[in-house]
Amino acid sequence: MNGLYRQRGEDPTQTGSFPAPTRPMWTTLTNPVKKFTSSLSFKLSFYAGFIMFLAVVAFAYHTIFTQEESLLDEKIRAAIKDTEIIKAAIWNGMMTKDRQVIREIVAALGKEEGFRDINIYDHRGVLHYTSRTGQPEGPAAATTNSHNPLLANLDSNTSLRYRFIDAGNVLNVVNPLNNTAGCAAAGCHASPSVEKVLGALEVSLPVQDVRQKISEHRRKTLLFAVALFLIVSSILGLVVIFGVLPPIKRLQRNARNLAKGHYAPSVANYGSDEIADLARTFDEMSREINWRTAMLDESRRFYEDLFETVPCYLNIVDPDYRIVRGNRAFTDEFGDHTGSFCYRAFKGQETPCRNCQVEKTFADGLSHRGEQVWTREAGTQEVHVVVHTSPILDEEGKVSQVLEMSVDITRLKNLQAQLEKKEREFKNLFENVPCYLSVVDKAYRIAYFNKRFVYDFGDCWGQHCYTAYKARETRCSNCPVEATFADGATHSSEELWHLNGMDRHIILQTAPILDEQGEVVAVMEMFNDITELRLLQNELSTLGETIAGMSHDVKNILSGLEGGVYVVDSGLRQGREERVRQGWDMVKRNVEKVSDLVKDILYASKEREPEYRECDPGEILTEVHDLFERKALEAGIEMVKDFEPRMGNAILDPKEIHSAVSNLIANAMAACVSSGKPSPRHIILHGSAIDTRLIIKVSDDGTGMSQEAAENLFKKFYSTKGSKGTGLGLVVTRKIVEEHKGTITVESTEGEGATFTIDIPLMWPERIDGIETHGSVQRHTGS
Amino acid sequence: MPKKILVVDDEPDMVTFLCTLLEDNGYATCTAVDGEDGMEKTRNEKPDLISLDLLMPNKTGIKMYRELRKDPETKDIPVIMVTGFAKDDVPQMDFKKWIHERAIKPPEAYIEKPVNKEVYLESIKQALT
Repeated sequence: MNGLYRQRGEDPTQTGSFPAPTRPMWTTLTNPVKKFTSSLSFKLSFYAGFIMFLAVVAFAYHTIFTQEESLLDEKIRAAIKDTEIIKAAIWNGMMTKDRQVIREIVAALGKEEGFRDINIYDHRGVLHYTSRTGQPEGPAAATTNSHNPLLANLDSNTSLRYRFIDAGNVLNVVNPLNNTAGCAAAGCHASPSVEKVLGALEVSLPVQDVRQKISEHRRKTLLFAVALFLIVSSILGLVVIFGVLPPIKRLQRNARNLAKGHYAPSVANYGSDEIADLARTFDEMSREINWRTAMLDESRRFYEDLFETVPCYLNIVDPDYRIVRGNRAFTDEFGDHTGSFCYRAFKGQETPCRNCQVEKTFADGLSHRGEQVWTREAGTQEVHVVVHTSPILDEEGKVSQVLEMSVDITRLKNLQAQLEKKEREFKNLFENVPCYLSVVDKAYRIAYFNKRFVYDFGDCWGQHCYTAYKARETRCSNCPVEATFADGATHSSEELWHLNGMDRHIILQTAPILDEQGEVVAVMEMFNDITELRLLQNELSTLGETIAGMSHDVKNILSGLEGGVYVVDSGLRQGREERVRQGWDMVKRNVEKVSDLVKDILYASKEREPEYRECDPGEILTEVHDLFERKALEAGIEMVKDFEPRMGNAILDPKEIHSAVSNLIANAMAACVSSGKPSPRHIILHGSAIDTRLIIKVSDDGTGMSQEAAENLFKKFYSTKGSKGTGLGLVVTRKIVEEHKGTITVESTEGEGATFTIDIPLMWPERIDGIETHGSVQRHTGS
Repeated sequence: MPKKILVVDDEPDMVTFLCTLLEDNGYATCTAVDGEDGMEKTRNEKPDLISLDLLMPNKTGIKMYRELRKDPETKDIPVIMVTGFAKDDVPQMDFKKWIHERAIKPPEAYIEKPVNKEVYLESIKQALT
């Protein structure tokens, strides 16, 4: 891996490939002398020749030395023998004390070929005889010859001694002359017998011929050795040049080619020697190397391609956070930042990032993952990436670099942001939609709800829907949620819920919430309180019925008018006055009815504010009582006054209160009349002012009414009076009471009578301040 | 002997009108103010035909009609129904339909208020023949 991800800049021409092999030293040397001296042929021939040369020289010198030694030994032995002969020759002279004989013998011998000179010394080193002419004899010459070291110590060492002098060309032999019994007894220059040596014979012999012979021999031997060296070297050199170098050079060439990565299988016939074996082995090795190199190349190319073309950003970062290398996807997108700090190059920061995955991987050698925001195009564009880091280990197993693999998730991020926005929008919609929304899970528990829901129902998360909505302990029958769970379709139902102590009409729609498999996992409930709508609907329905009732009424009146006109006509035709009168009364009555009806309709349909005046409710009740008292008595009804005639002044619309109470009295009378009960029947008019409330009650012991009739009484057109009522009386009464912000209720038992109660919040004149009134408040003094 | 017709209606003006009309056309009349009264008068007066209003207090025209038809003595007396309700006005008060749905012999004629004199007289004439 290290080879693959080696640092950039090492070899700019070979990015991402293997480094070129180092060229051998010898190819760089250009000096031909050095080239020659370091060549194999030179080394082999020179050193082999040289060794041969040394061997010959050593052997020759050894032989010459031995020869020289034996020649000189022979010379020495001959010399010693000569000295002994001379000693014997002179011995007689000495014995005879004939100095001249001795002198002649020495001179004669000295002229002999083979002697340079012959000297005879006494034991003190004084020369007595010599073969050299003109040389002094006797004690005077003693000093001149005393330099010969061989003459020293003759007394202590009586053995023969020799030396080479004159650069080895002369052999100098000294043979001591020992004291003998004869000598000691002689009288000449007899020496005492204790002295062992009397003198010495010195003979010098030239050995120049031997030296010359040896020298000649040495010269010839040296020449032979040099010649041998040259011959052997040349032969060996040639053998190497023609026999050894060509195959080696071929091997070299192949090796060089191989090093360059070119491998051409050799077809040469190598022969059968060791070099040929080597060449064949090399060829085999080359093939192997070539194959392996090819494999490595392929594998390297594969990884190179992978690195470059992998569809994510790859970066190699060194421990200083410098980018060592980035792949194509990275450089295409962010530019070539090789050598830059990663945090500066594409994050625009001056210091390493906090929570850096690369840092972690350098620290623990493990892979790490994280999200980062990079920038491109000079920081104008943000790129969101997911980063994975992996360690790149060196030979010692330490993290040398970190591979940073990053995937661009900007689009994903944008999508995520869009999704979140949409989610917010939907949530907003969900929360603010002007109806109740809740989500119910399969256990019928409320899992989610919107703001409107919480506002009216409170937080009922986790509660069963039926408990939260209807305070039930068990599931409802005909549950639309259940239906939606079953068929995955939307359902709706209209339900009556009991909320905050009030009955509420709720219209509910359900919709399935599906999972990925299309299974219904929850149901959304969307519902709205339509109580107001229902009331309006009821009111509309009431209005419809009222109109129908009125049309009936109008028809009756028309019938009455038509009938009256017919009866008048008939009376006129027949001249029957009573019939004319009867018909005219009918006409008048029905005209009056039309008038009343129109007035009631106008009243009931008009939105108006009461004309408040200061008046005494007691007075109003008295007026109504007095108005009906006579009529009631005629019908066998007794009217009972149950109120104080003076209750104190209050703020009311006296005319309206008068009409409302009159309507109730008229109804009560009708109920009494139609009950068919025996006289006297009773109507009790009650009035009381309790603190701020005015209570007016009208009770009768007439027919009474059913519960259903009592409930519908104020709502719809309802008449039990036949032709005597417009059916609008109670509607008008209720309207008046409500205009006074009061209420009207009825209690009744069928067959036993009824009690109508008006309850009006009362405003007393002293408390009128601050109360908004319409129109001027005038003092009312009765109608 | 003129045919006797019982006019049952809680509205006196209607009764006056119908009686005058019938008498002018040669019928004898008697009257009743509601269903109760009507049954009593039917049994006493034995009218040849009954002109019956539907909506009345105490006993409505429907109840009285049912009683008439149940009673063997009165079940053959022709009845002209006079009503202020038209089925167009209040669909749930479509008596005609209501009666037809039951196993009761329907009345001889329906007359809607306001009463058309000619139609009314013609209906009575046909019912009596």
